Amino acid sequence: MAAPLEPLDLASPTSEPGSGEPGGGKAIQGRSLTEIAWTRLKRDRWALAGAVVVVLFVVVAIASVFLKSAGVLDISTYHTDLIDHNTDKPLGFFGGISLSHPFGVDPQYGRDMLSRVLVGSEYSLLIAFTATIISVVIGVVMGVVAGYFGGWVDTVINWLMNVFLAFPLLLFAIALTGVVQTTNSAFGLSGDALHIVVLVFVIGFFNWPYIGRIIRGQTLSLREREFVDAARSLGARGFYVLWHELLPNLVGPILVYATLLIPTNILFEAALDFLGVGLKLPTPSWGAMLADAVTNQYYSIDPEYILVPGLAIFISVMAFNLFGDGLRDALDPRSH
Amino acid sequence: MKRKNAVAFAAVCAGLSLLTACGSGSSGSSGGSSSSGGAPSYNAGNNSVVNPSTKAGGTLNYGLSGVPDSTDPGSTYYAYMWNFSRLYARPLLTFKSAPGTDGLKLIPGLATGMGKVSSDGLTWTYTIQSGLKFEDGSAITTKDVKYAIERSTNYSPGILPNGPTYFQQYLTDPTYPGAFKDTTPDKLGLKGVDTPNDTTIVFHLQHPFADFDYLVTSPQTAPVPQAKDTGTKYQEHPISSGPYMFSSYDPNKGFTLVKNPNWTQASDPNDKQLVNTINVAFNVQAADLDSRLLNGSMDIDLDGTGVQTAARARILGNKTLQTKADDAVSGFLWYAALNTQVAPLNNVDCRKAIEYAVNKTTQQTAYGGPIAGGDIGTTVMPPTVVGYQKADQYSFIAQPNGDVAKAKSELQKCGQPNGFSVNISARGDRPKEVSAAQGIQEALAGIGVKAQIQQYPSGSNFSTYAGVPNFVHQHDLGIIMGGWAADWPDGFGFLSQISDGRAIKAAGNSNLQEENNPQLNQLLDKATQSPDASARNKIYAQIDQILMSDAVILPEVYAKSLLYRNPNTTNVFVTEAYGMYDYTQIGKSQ
Amino acid sequence: MITFIVRRLFGAVLMLLVVSMVTFAVFFLVPRIAGQTTDQLATQYVGRNPNPTEVHAMEVKLGLDQPIYVQYGRFLKNIVAGEDFDTGTGIVHCPPPCFGYSFKNQQEVWPQMLSALPVTGSLALGAAVIWLISGVGIGVLSALRRGTVFDRAAMSVALAGVSLPIFFTALLSLAIFRDSIPLFPDAGNYISITVDPGKWAEALVLPWVTLAFLYAALYARLTRAGMLETMNEDFIRTARAKGLSERKVVVKHGLRATLTPIITIFGLDLGLLVGGAVLTESAFSLPGLGRFAVNAINNQDLPEILGVTMLAGFFVVAANLIVDVLYAVVDPRVRF
Repeated sequence: MAAPLEPLDLASPTSEPGSGEPGGGKAIQGRSLTEIAWTRLKRDRWALAGAVVVVLFVVVAIASVFLKSAGVLDISTYHTDLIDHNTDKPLGFFGGISLSHPFGVDPQYGRDMLSRVLVGSEYSLLIAFTATIISVVIGVVMGVVAGYFGGWVDTVINWLMNVFLAFPLLLFAIALTGVVQTTNSAFGLSGDALHIVVLVFVIGFFNWPYIGRIIRGQTLSLREREFVDAARSLGARGFYVLWHELLPNLVGPILVYATLLIPTNILFEAALDFLGVGLKLPTPSWGAMLADAVTNQYYSIDPEYILVPGLAIFISVMAFNLFGDGLRDALDPRSH
Repeated sequence: MKRKNAVAFAAVCAGLSLLTACGSGSSGSSGGSSSSGGAPSYNAGNNSVVNPSTKAGGTLNYGLSGVPDSTDPGSTYYAYMWNFSRLYARPLLTFKSAPGTDGLKLIPGLATGMGKVSSDGLTWTYTIQSGLKFEDGSAITTKDVKYAIERSTNYSPGILPNGPTYFQQYLTDPTYPGAFKDTTPDKLGLKGVDTPNDTTIVFHLQHPFADFDYLVTSPQTAPVPQAKDTGTKYQEHPISSGPYMFSSYDPNKGFTLVKNPNWTQASDPNDKQLVNTINVAFNVQAADLDSRLLNGSMDIDLDGTGVQTAARARILGNKTLQTKADDAVSGFLWYAALNTQVAPLNNVDCRKAIEYAVNKTTQQTAYGGPIAGGDIGTTVMPPTVVGYQKADQYSFIAQPNGDVAKAKSELQKCGQPNGFSVNISARGDRPKEVSAAQGIQEALAGIGVKAQIQQYPSGSNFSTYAGVPNFVHQHDLGIIMGGWAADWPDGFGFLSQISDGRAIKAAGNSNLQEENNPQLNQLLDKATQSPDASARNKIYAQIDQILMSDAVILPEVYAKSLLYRNPNTTNVFVTEAYGMYDYTQIGKSQ
Repeated sequence: MITFIVRRLFGAVLMLLVVSMVTFAVFFLVPRIAGQTTDQLATQYVGRNPNPTEVHAMEVKLGLDQPIYVQYGRFLKNIVAGEDFDTGTGIVHCPPPCFGYSFKNQQEVWPQMLSALPVTGSLALGAAVIWLISGVGIGVLSALRRGTVFDRAAMSVALAGVSLPIFFTALLSLAIFRDSIPLFPDAGNYISITVDPGKWAEALVLPWVTLAFLYAALYARLTRAGMLETMNEDFIRTARAKGLSERKVVVKHGLRATLTPIITIFGLDLGLLVGGAVLTESAFSLPGLGRFAVNAINNQDLPEILGVTMLAGFFVVAANLIVDVLYAVVDPRVRF
């Protein structure tokens, strides 16, 4: 599960003049990096498609919260009359598709798949987003501090990053989530809430070096730029420079890598579910459903049960990847 | 985990309508006995020998989805190990290798006949054959049997912790420190066992125990040569007294057996030595193991508890595949224990509410439906245990989806008309058990009882979590999912550990519901002392009824296992002694 | 050069120590935070029906009643000096490096790991060869044929590859190539190469391809991006201006600059992978280090957990070291 490591080079000057403007006698306006990036992004059809799907999924996730409490989405009622009792297969075509169950029902219990996959988006996206935020916050802070202040601070943080990278991440994730599985409650939480918090912590906390390294690299090159010197010559001190000069220029790569980290985290959570230490059924997270389908080899008797959560994960991950790629290409002056 | 299969004692097919194992299954070709000629059919292995053959040679491949607790015969508690270890560890007595009720008969193993009991019931004497040899050619004597018992879990739990401890409980000299701490020069200091000569062995009991012949079918009576004992390392290569011996062992990958040249058919008419090599692979993922069975790269699932969901659906949906399967009665009861110490389940009416509320059909489906799961259970003892008497105190059969009205009225009686909260414990790596727990959760929600499921790993479930009363109390585990089979084939073997109040342990507890009813305890004592079998059986039935009226056990399913046999295997049949295929007989046709 | 290596070696050992300390602390403390007492911890190793004396005896034998620094000290001492163990019939000595005896089955940990190592090694190295050649090859070709159908198709497949959960592709490949079309009937049934090379390969083909697919996709994307960047550099223009053939430009100049960072990442990925390809091994039931680790964690078997974590950490640290040295040798800009 290597996170994307391709560097985004901000240090080279943007050499593009205002492109595509009609020439003639008009004065040529210089455009800021943001404007250039935005124009390029708008032209990248795949990235836009990805963005649209991402937004769609987020909307669905939020909507499903309300739909569930309003009773429109029903994730837990059993419909065992729709199941063949000897084989646990849903009766009917392709997993029991019908008007009342447009995506069929799940094997053995006959719960509505459409509701479950829609509600599942809440879990998968919530965990991925919050874990990413944690990674990004820690990574950016550490990366900027290391890159800007240099010296022994940099050495220590660098060493720390190496240590984190040396830990077998998956093993720790298994161990921590596994042990917490057996506790009723800790830290005032219990059940699903506790599992989610632990998952978010584990995924987020161990992934920060990836972003940290990149941000450190960016900071290192940025701090040699003229505008930093200019600010310093005007009397600006450490934190002012950090906050007002460096961070705004880092927003680009931060956005890019955050967007690219989210699909990694969706997949990571699914992997933990497969190993039995993530969310478990009946919680309808996509990873848990896919893991159940895959571990019990339902593909041979009810392929729909594997396809629905599998596609959900696949499409959402692809969408984030496409959008993130597009963002990165848009911000990189030399990729065109 | 306790032995997974009981010995089915009563006539399985004799008119007990609850069993469908010997009648035709609900789909597919008719079951029942198939003659030895012609293609085998569905359930043929339940009552007949499938593919009988004397052809020797070939390799047999077993797969296992976990690892055995130990391959050391002194330290194992799994039914499949008790069955399989007979290939390299011959006990004093064993069960006849035959299909049907014939397979429940005790026959001599190392011994020449059944035990002779003294008139006061306190001494049991056995004679073993002379001229028996270990794999290295050295002679087998009764001293090796005595030593085997001394080094086993009974007396040396610090070194060999996993086996049963019945000998320590019943023999005199219970404080013997174990073979490894024995200070006598020949390390034969256990006073509860005497070996007056090389072929005679005498057991001294504290109290009469009518079932003693069953106790010595345990692999703990298989002989171990003291000079070659290596303690914790013995599991890597136990010195064989049976038709096969170890040729390699890896604790994570598996082991391989080859023919033992020092075993003779004449000394062991029951076992067969056909294939050249037996491979056992550990840690094969469960559904994957089924795929390999179906595609022929593996021959038998050693665990013997049946195929998983997907394979089951494939087998039952395909007439050809179905002819290679047997729906065996495993002798197991799947149940939920209702703990008497966790409020408000300390009130019997609250427990009764749960008995009424649960949807029995859903539970049956969770465990695999009528074919692969089994029949809905209404008593604690399954029908295959001696002492079973048909009964149905809470009308499970008449109301298979539960009786919400009665459940609610019981709630009123126990003073919780608006329901209450409770925790259910289940083993997280057993999908069927988790499904069943979810079924209970759902049914209880219907009467206002909020249940939360706590999952624990099966390896440490009874040693660390559900089997530790303090843990149970601390975490309010009012409902504990579990399964149980007898360690030997009668009511006492089934009931004692799970119902005797004095058997409640601080860890590794099997009396999960912490039932401690003095009347029940007395009945158990009475049973072991009465030499008359029918008197004992009446007592067992009585105990069962008390357990049900105390509502401490919610029986769910009398388990069946849908077993699959590779069509290239020979001499395959279900032994009712262990509720799975008899591993001492199987050969390969190609 | 020598001082460089020595300094890095020293740092590596220090890092391993830290890894071991943190691992020990985590696996020691987490069960206690989850509410387990030492008695309970010891109980799971004493079989089914322990009485309190036996439990306590096991506690003492395993050293569970000692405070954490004593247990840790013992662990360190054992690695260096070996340990004595009472099998019942005598005292055996486990020679250094001795990672102790499994709590669960009382077998030596180090030989168990050694026995699992060739499996993981076969899996990792085989897959590595495949993904390096195919991933880098496709990435280079895509970069050179940028914008063509080949490029788009390759990058789409690569994108799909990184968007699918690996356990999903693993089990799908088993379903198709082992069960439906019995191309590899013994896939996953590991046989040592010394016993039967044909069956060894047959068992590993599907795991190799599944694992390689994921990494090849990553590397194709990485290589393409890197290649595109390199081909825009000034020195490439100079090389062309000098009149060198395009092939020489690409292979001799372009490729070398592109590959250097790729090799770095490759080394790290390989190091991490040898520490345990947990997901692949679980999906295919391969008896490697990853599966060993998962079982150890599920059994809370502290010696095994420590052993496998240390071994994995060692591979990562070693890979880091080798890569750093290689980088220093290859890239003349890096000063010691």
